[in-house]
Amino acid sequence: MSSYQVGLGWNKHYSKIFNGGMPTTPQQLSPVEEQEKLLDEALATVKNEAFKMKRCLDKNKLMDALKSASVMLGELRTSLLSPKSYYELYMSITDELRHMELFLIDEFQKGRKVSDLYELVQYAGNIVPRLYLLITVGLVYIKSNQMFRRDLLKDLVEMCRGVQHPLRGLFLRNYLLQCTRNVLPDVPDSDSDNPEGTVKDSIDFVLMNFAEMNKLWVRMQHQGHSRERQHREREREELRILVGTNLVRLSQLESVTLEKYQKSVLPGILEQVVSCRDAIAQEYLMECIIQVFPDEFHIQTLNPFLKSCAELESGVNVKNIVISLMERLATYSQRTDGMSMANDSGSPMGVPMDVQLFEVFSEQVASIIATRQYLPSEDMVALQVALVNLALKCYPDRVDYIDKVMLGSVEVFQRLGLERIEYNELVAKELSKLLKIPVDHYSNILTVLQLKHYAALMQHLDYYGRKSLSMYILTNALDSETVIPSQEEVEQALSLVSTLVTDQSDQPAGEVDMEELAEEQSLLARLIHQFKSESADQQYLILNSARKILGSGGQQRIKHTLPPLVFQAYQLAFKYRDLKAEDDIWEKKCQKIFQFCHSTITALVKAELAELPLRLFLQGALAIDQIAFDNHETVAYEFLSQAFSLYEDEISDSKAQLAAITLIVGTLEKISCFSEENAEPLITQCALAASKLLKKPDQCRGVATCSHLLWSGKTLASNKQEMHDGKRVVECLKKGVRIANQCMDISVQVQLFVELLNHYVYFYENGNDQVTVQMLNQLIGKIREESPNLESSEETEQITKHFNNTLDHLRARIENPETDGVSYEGIEI
Amino acid sequence: MASNKKILLKVVILGDSGVGKTSLMNQYITKKFSNQYKATIGADFLTKELIVDDRAVTMQIWDTAGQERFQSLGVAFYRGADCCVLVFDVTAPNTFKSLDSWRDEFLIQASPREPENFPFVLLGNKVDLEPRGISTKRAQQWCQSKNNIPYFETSAKEALNVEQAFQCIARNALSQQNQNDDLYNEFPDQIKLSQPSKSSGSGDSCAC
Repeated sequence: MSSYQVGLGWNKHYSKIFNGGMPTTPQQLSPVEEQEKLLDEALATVKNEAFKMKRCLDKNKLMDALKSASVMLGELRTSLLSPKSYYELYMSITDELRHMELFLIDEFQKGRKVSDLYELVQYAGNIVPRLYLLITVGLVYIKSNQMFRRDLLKDLVEMCRGVQHPLRGLFLRNYLLQCTRNVLPDVPDSDSDNPEGTVKDSIDFVLMNFAEMNKLWVRMQHQGHSRERQHREREREELRILVGTNLVRLSQLESVTLEKYQKSVLPGILEQVVSCRDAIAQEYLMECIIQVFPDEFHIQTLNPFLKSCAELESGVNVKNIVISLMERLATYSQRTDGMSMANDSGSPMGVPMDVQLFEVFSEQVASIIATRQYLPSEDMVALQVALVNLALKCYPDRVDYIDKVMLGSVEVFQRLGLERIEYNELVAKELSKLLKIPVDHYSNILTVLQLKHYAALMQHLDYYGRKSLSMYILTNALDSETVIPSQEEVEQALSLVSTLVTDQSDQPAGEVDMEELAEEQSLLARLIHQFKSESADQQYLILNSARKILGSGGQQRIKHTLPPLVFQAYQLAFKYRDLKAEDDIWEKKCQKIFQFCHSTITALVKAELAELPLRLFLQGALAIDQIAFDNHETVAYEFLSQAFSLYEDEISDSKAQLAAITLIVGTLEKISCFSEENAEPLITQCALAASKLLKKPDQCRGVATCSHLLWSGKTLASNKQEMHDGKRVVECLKKGVRIANQCMDISVQVQLFVELLNHYVYFYENGNDQVTVQMLNQLIGKIREESPNLESSEETEQITKHFNNTLDHLRARIENPETDGVSYEGIEI
Repeated sequence: MASNKKILLKVVILGDSGVGKTSLMNQYITKKFSNQYKATIGADFLTKELIVDDRAVTMQIWDTAGQERFQSLGVAFYRGADCCVLVFDVTAPNTFKSLDSWRDEFLIQASPREPENFPFVLLGNKVDLEPRGISTKRAQQWCQSKNNIPYFETSAKEALNVEQAFQCIARNALSQQNQNDDLYNEFPDQIKLSQPSKSSGSGDSCAC
């Protein structure tokens, strides 16, 4: 093919024709303006010459047209344009060159000899225009005569070596690549010599062009001053697309089968990528391979590809490359889900059975982590994140794969000697992300608990990291309402969120934010309500276990976490009552449960709490009364008496005292299991406690409340019916009136009278014959007497209103007496 | 110009990544379809010879990357386009939502002479797939709001409407070029004087 080489002899005639204009010189302008100006000038020349060229073509003056084309192409010899501006110029010139190409194709179809022209254009004075024209003509030649295709392609790709300026060379070869797109041989290899070429020739052609372009591109890095490195790297990033186009071309060849790809294409590319030892090139080209070749190829070439990843320069972000591949394949396996045949081998759809996608990646990720010593630890974790995502997408049922990643990550940390990672480090963020994926994906804490190495991995986070993750796990468990049904799982769950359950050895000393703590603990308390086994016996074990673990949480935590346990226990006792037909020893079990509750509430008392345990005891007494197991009276008495002693020993605030005594009276009024022997001291105790309250108004109200115990309270003596001890009721109320009389503040006094009047009316209407109209008249009289002395205020207005409402009620009753109702005869309103 | 002269049309296909731009072009030019997904990087064209209104034209179809990160050198190839084809995936509403920005970007970068009259054609691809995310009506409404852009529902996989769509694209590109040729009369008159027998206009004899 020597006849196609650049002629050494110089032909004066042609040189005159082809010596076009030189690039214009720059002036002092801002860099952007300068670029714009340079580009505009160049584009103006292009427009002008292109117009001339087309006119010459119209007139069939080929030589003149070639001359204009050469001048136009001469603009591409500039060294002054930035890559983007050069690209614009290149685009507009090659757009125009297409007209030349069309003309020539037409000409040759009419019978013009091509070979002459192929030599002719080689006499163009400058190499850049010469080679552009040569490629254009060469293309026409190939199109008109396939027999020289193989040799011409080889010739063209060789000749482009003549331009070694990176920018110009890259664009020239890009032009070659663009022009040859449609003419690359794309038939399978054959044994016989084929001058039209086969796919092998195309692969060689593109791989050679690729290698040359990559060299030009890499060389840019090493030219010019070192202070311009950033600028240069930016320009290189812009130009990368030109190099990548070679890979696109390879991927467009239909005859590149999987086998060809495995045997020649991929190894050829990888060799060039690895050996160029340039980080920018390596990172981009690896990404490019992933993007332009189909997933079907990637799946079968994971090992060589990933092995090369391990060999890349230290500056290459291998993590991004590997993750990008994993993500693509994960999406692919999902995308092909619906399309491919059913497949019950457990391998994801679209992934051939012999390809162990997860295993391969898992292995290669491990080896990348092991061999690349400069890989930042957050990148190592990010790779694990990608592995988990891959496994979840491709093998959703394989919890063991996720566990394997957890184990792998633990090993990474051990090898790095990272015990505890501080909350604000990048690697901690990645690790939290990794640990959150299973939580989010499964939305089931039970599945997370199946991951044996999850907890161990979590231990590598510091206190704050673990706590924040614990909150995340808790919130998820609450949102998904996952029931935790066994003792073992409850223990595991609580141990997983141990930062919230007990103090930790690495917990920072210092003040605890009580509000924050309350918020955390109430989440934990809500979770306790999700500890629920179908079996009552199991449930008992769960509660016992949880009690032991939560009990060690300290005073500030147990006040939040023990009450839900106590309520759970009360519910369990009700459950046993419902099971009484099936369980012979249900009563024994109930006793045990209440013992459990007793000791749990006592733990709260020991934590110097009073009002909370008092209420829990009362609630317990109510439950005991309703469940009525063997010996329940004694237990109920114990609970109530415990409440009483808390009242007496621990509650000193007068408001809290009144509230407590009101609750105790209310509870006692509901309970019907007591014999006379137990009921009497309790009632007396209530009345006594009420009358001993510090403030007179409190005494009055307490005593009045107690009066109801004597009316609607129930005991065994009254046959569990209301006792209706009218005489003592009135005694209580009279005592109330006496106390009210002692109050100094008139408005308080009147208020108490009005309240007492209401109590009287209630009992009168409910048939207490010890209450008389005269008593009512007396009270009404007293109120009327004092009312005018009240100073007007919002408070007194309320009192008056209350009084008037009471009177209205009485009037209504007088006017419309109820059929069986009492008579208000003689009342003075 | 002489009617026997070969006409070169430039068409640019735009749309989000994965909507099927490359598949549509391949189906039209090579009559083949592959389920394999290969991302396009950069921009690349194929040519197709066809007859439009009795005229032989060569249509240059530019296939582009839907992901911006793959256009590191910018979009100089928009320049000089005679027609812009916008593609979305009828099963992916997001790809429909991006149409406005693709159209705006094209008009800014290509800066055609009369942006409001520049020919666009909209293709709703993948009609062979379920479920539909964008109804025919919705797409048509969008087209109406953009000065009556022609709309085709295509399937590159099943070769549905692909031929028709590209015929329409070619026709619109051709009429755009004819208009542009009229505008090209801004060149110096000296050329006309030296060649009185031939007009450099687009075939109509009016000298203005």
